[in-house]
Amino acid sequence: MPPTELKVVGSYLLGTCIRPEINVDMAVTMPREIFQDKDNLNQRYHRKRALYLAHIAQHLSKQQLFGSVKFAYMNSNHLKPILLLRPQGKDEKMVTVRLHACPAPGLFKPSRFYPSKNNIRTAWFVEQSTPKEGATEPPTPHYNNSILCDTMLLSHLQFLSSAATDFPGMKDGVALLKVWLNQRQLSKGLGCFSGFMVSMLVAYLLMKRKIVKMMSGYQVLRSTLQFLATTDLSVTGISLVKDVDPSLPVLDDFQQAFEVVFVDPSGLVNLCADMTASKYHQVQFEARYSMEILDDRMVDGFQALLMTAKPMLRAFDHVFHLKHVSKLQGTCKKMQLLSELMDRGGNYVAAALPFIVSLLVRGLSGRALLVVHSLPQTPEWPIDAEPPKHKDVGPLTFGLLFYPDFAASMLEKGPQADHPEALDFRTFWGEKSELRRFQDGSIREAVVWEANTAYQKRLIPEQIVRHLLKLHADIPESSICYMGALLESVIRTGKEASGTGEEAMVSVVRAYDDLSRKLWHLKELPLMVSSVQGVHPALRYTDVFPPIPMKPIYSFHAQIKTKHMLLPSEKKPCPAYITPLKMICHMEGSGQWPQGKDAIKRIKAAFHLQLAELLQQQHQLVCRPAVTHTDVYKDGYVFRLQVAYHREPLILKEVVTPEGMLKYQDTEESRQLEVEIQHMPYVTSSLHGLQQQHPVFGSACRLAKRWVSAHLLGDNISEECVDLLVAFLFLHPAPFTPPSSPQVGFLRFLDLLATFDWKNNPLIVNLNAGLTDADCAEIKSKFAAARSCLPVMFIATPKDRWSSMWTQERPSAQILQRLTVLASESLHALEEQLMDPLKTQDVKMVFRPPLDFYDVLIHLNPNQIPRHLESVDQPVKSFSRGVVKNSTADKILFPVVDYDPVQCYLRELRDAFSDLALFFYDKHGGEVIAVLWKPLSFQPQPFKVSNVKGRMVTTLNDKLVCVPNVEAILEDFEVLGEGLVKSVEARTEKWTI
Amino acid sequence: ATSRRAKMAASVERVVGEAPAGYTALAVKFGARQRSPHYLLVKEHQLREGAGTAHPPHRTLFVLNVPPYCTAASLTRLFSRCGDVQSVDMCDKPGPGEKEEKLKSKFFNCETVTGFRVAYVVFKKPAGVRAAKALSQEGPLLISTESHPVKTGVKKWIASYAASIVDQEELKAEVDAYMQDYDKKIEEEEAKAAKEEGVPDEEGWVKVTRRGRKPGLPRTEAANLRLLEKEKQKRARKELLNFYAWQHRETKREHIAQLRKKFEEDKQRIALMRAQRKFRPY
Repeated sequence: MPPTELKVVGSYLLGTCIRPEINVDMAVTMPREIFQDKDNLNQRYHRKRALYLAHIAQHLSKQQLFGSVKFAYMNSNHLKPILLLRPQGKDEKMVTVRLHACPAPGLFKPSRFYPSKNNIRTAWFVEQSTPKEGATEPPTPHYNNSILCDTMLLSHLQFLSSAATDFPGMKDGVALLKVWLNQRQLSKGLGCFSGFMVSMLVAYLLMKRKIVKMMSGYQVLRSTLQFLATTDLSVTGISLVKDVDPSLPVLDDFQQAFEVVFVDPSGLVNLCADMTASKYHQVQFEARYSMEILDDRMVDGFQALLMTAKPMLRAFDHVFHLKHVSKLQGTCKKMQLLSELMDRGGNYVAAALPFIVSLLVRGLSGRALLVVHSLPQTPEWPIDAEPPKHKDVGPLTFGLLFYPDFAASMLEKGPQADHPEALDFRTFWGEKSELRRFQDGSIREAVVWEANTAYQKRLIPEQIVRHLLKLHADIPESSICYMGALLESVIRTGKEASGTGEEAMVSVVRAYDDLSRKLWHLKELPLMVSSVQGVHPALRYTDVFPPIPMKPIYSFHAQIKTKHMLLPSEKKPCPAYITPLKMICHMEGSGQWPQGKDAIKRIKAAFHLQLAELLQQQHQLVCRPAVTHTDVYKDGYVFRLQVAYHREPLILKEVVTPEGMLKYQDTEESRQLEVEIQHMPYVTSSLHGLQQQHPVFGSACRLAKRWVSAHLLGDNISEECVDLLVAFLFLHPAPFTPPSSPQVGFLRFLDLLATFDWKNNPLIVNLNAGLTDADCAEIKSKFAAARSCLPVMFIATPKDRWSSMWTQERPSAQILQRLTVLASESLHALEEQLMDPLKTQDVKMVFRPPLDFYDVLIHLNPNQIPRHLESVDQPVKSFSRGVVKNSTADKILFPVVDYDPVQCYLRELRDAFSDLALFFYDKHGGEVIAVLWKPLSFQPQPFKVSNVKGRMVTTLNDKLVCVPNVEAILEDFEVLGEGLVKSVEARTEKWTI
Repeated sequence: ATSRRAKMAASVERVVGEAPAGYTALAVKFGARQRSPHYLLVKEHQLREGAGTAHPPHRTLFVLNVPPYCTAASLTRLFSRCGDVQSVDMCDKPGPGEKEEKLKSKFFNCETVTGFRVAYVVFKKPAGVRAAKALSQEGPLLISTESHPVKTGVKKWIASYAASIVDQEELKAEVDAYMQDYDKKIEEEEAKAAKEEGVPDEEGWVKVTRRGRKPGLPRTEAANLRLLEKEKQKRARKELLNFYAWQHRETKREHIAQLRKKFEEDKQRIALMRAQRKFRPY
């Protein structure tokens, strides 16, 4: 029987279609004759509707008109199949025509579908022949709603088009809102906040006069977001009904039946029927946060809100997957959700989801700001295939956003033992709950989670999730795949399997504080110590592998007895690497300082000697003075003290012109000194402060640095530069919130590297909020004017606005390009792995560098690599490094400090061959130095006296030219690294000329 | 692998003895085990003008392309076959031979040159230079031999680590000596300045210093700028603005030019923004 009416409905007519999916919706009105009485009951209507569509599909597929004819579920609601028609040829991707079947108007009586009515009989659903006596049938609001939706299809269109007349801003505003939703992955799947709902919401605001027809698209966007941010539809629903009709159900009825309520103009349909409260809270949160971004003048709101995608992995601190949704059947059974199942037509995912989410929300209240779930999405299917099952929606993903201060708390404090709520608390937490006596004397129910280190504390939410889902939802641990801290194994060393170094970092800082106190109070110094500032990365919590207290074993080393020093021994493996923790010790200014630069150097050396002597006398610390510093062994760490005089850079800059005028000119030496004694301490202290605000800053930074160095690029980009990049993520997170787990920080770091447009934009890191928006604008305009003479990567901070000192020499354009490519590849691979719980996870994959494009590989002898244990993949064989972990050593011989044969080797290689080749190495235990020939230097060049280094003279086309003496150089690699180099492997022949 | 070795052998054959005009190529290897040599390019040192005392002509051999592991000592050893070597001087790049022999300090300003370098070998007699050039006929020179091993790699690094440990007493003594000298020098200068204070020189000029009874302004760039700025302000205060008709015209013209310039800049900026537009939200 042909349809009685065909009509185009939806966004196409309103002009609010947006890419990537342009849909033209058509309503196909089914003839009245095919329906009978009581078709409203027991899914009869839905089955007939599906049958009718199938018939149309069969008919259309025979014709050559369409490129493809497929089925899909409307918003993944399995009771509502629709037919997708795509045109033939290259337009196939362009547009989709969606056929919706709907009943003839007036077919059903609306009062049958009030939210409190039942239309599915329990006996039918559970396939029993006789109904149970006396049992009341539960209401089926979702089922009723799905039929009503169909009947209202046409009237909704009329309503919207009447709202859109004379209102040009609505079109733009709705399009913007749709993009906004799309970027947040809110607009697709079961229970989504679809474009249709947005249009209806705008119409509602128009009706309530929150929006007037004069408004522009931007104003529509703003007022809609404002409304969403301030109204909680899961508590107080809204309705589009104009005049109250007493026969219609009231809002309270809807409120009882649905989680989120938004009633249409007819007063019958709840537009947000499938949405969970948690989804709405996510929308609300996003809207609230977006309003903040729009009001903030420092950020480009358009870019942040509408141009940046927010995939779950990068938006949420922890993400976990439910591997097999079929396990939710058990959940339905355990939670006794039969009536829900009936209401949802047997879709156990939709039935169980709201309950699971509310369970998690309760369990994580106080820790998590937001608990969200991904929207189940069923794929479309060809008309000759079986329709997808409920379990085909794939794994269900949950995202958690934390309060950084409370996420890691170990205690769940419950009510007092004699209160009636105690029982409730006990049933909720199961046997984990126990009675505890607190310091204030009260005896309460409480849950205490097992965690010793910061790393384990970050994973307490995982314990909670696993426990609660097991206890209440019957979901076994094996089907939960928790992506919280998979990456952190790469910043963990050696055997201690527990922590990721946060504790070690704290103890370093404690030792440092103690030492600086001792320095301040040092007696008998000719000048006072005016300030002590740390500059080593460990003192700002961003050292990839923080130092651990160590004490040398004497027999392992050679000794110089007279000086109480240990030396590395030639016969033993190289001793463990002990990092000197550098700190700058400013001496007070005084007239006693000499004003000549050589004299200042001598005086500083004298200070180093004296500091060593006094520390030894007054505090029994073992010291090793040198010309430029003094090393102090304290609590198992070695601190490197460097005395600074604040006028020294100025004196280095002094130049006297021929006319006898004193001028200040930057020299290489003065610049270096300034960086060392002014800028480095400033960055260190600012980042130290940032760590206090964001406890995961350090770990995120360490992951980022580990990644950079794993790809052998650690020497090509300064550590401070990476630190600032990560700091940028915490200081300017828009459109995200500041990361609360290292993993999400790392993912965003990769994203920043992969997408930031360095050519046209400066990266402004507003440390300590030292820049106003006027300053930022000034930096941007000056940057644009002087782009060509600035470094490829330009980072501005409040104390360094114009010079970008940390990126001045490194990275070069080629290295930056390489970093960008690597970052986007790594991000892609990593996100694929983290989003697919069914495959085996090997996240370390992105930390293994590709080696195939290097020209020469120099393989190193592991026993001479002091940091071998830090490598990404734990080495099979480890060597004794001649140290024991210990921090209580008083009178000892001074250990070997800052001795890394590989670094010595690299220095020699670069000194000798830097104009012929680039050398790449992972300083954290890499076993290979990769060499890349510079193509330019391999072109034959005419003989020049300054140009023969490592080259030989040869005749080419009757001309004498210089070419690199590659065979000899390869042998030099072995000669220079005797004892360290295992083999030199030349992989390409491209150097043959 | 065999093909590569063949090629290597071929390349060795190809290049033996090739050198640009005036130079002689000497093959040099680290040890007996190495297969491919580097080539030192040597010639008699010639001076452009004047007389250098450090590298006297005829007796000095100029050596290019000295490999990184080759020390002054090993060069001395290599060339002592050709005659007594007086001194070997290694530099980063060829330069004027005269280096003012500052009193060298063991601890300060000691920079070592690394990588491939050039060397000046001064023989006692001119015959040494000729003999050195003749070495090219013999087989490659060896830098490290059994009797005179050169430390490289781990051994060298351990040795240099040991060398980096300073002797405190020695350092202290040196610093004290230097500071005494320095203090004496400063004192002398001050005494001299005090003597000249207020005394006119032969043309009648009196030198004003910071220390005198009437300290003058310090002659620094900053002070100069400040002075100029003050002058300018003074002058600006006196000047009348928009008083004459031509002044009026000029300010107007300037204003319009400024606006035009700004307009151009804005246009450029918008063009740039449009060029880099990447509006692809979906």
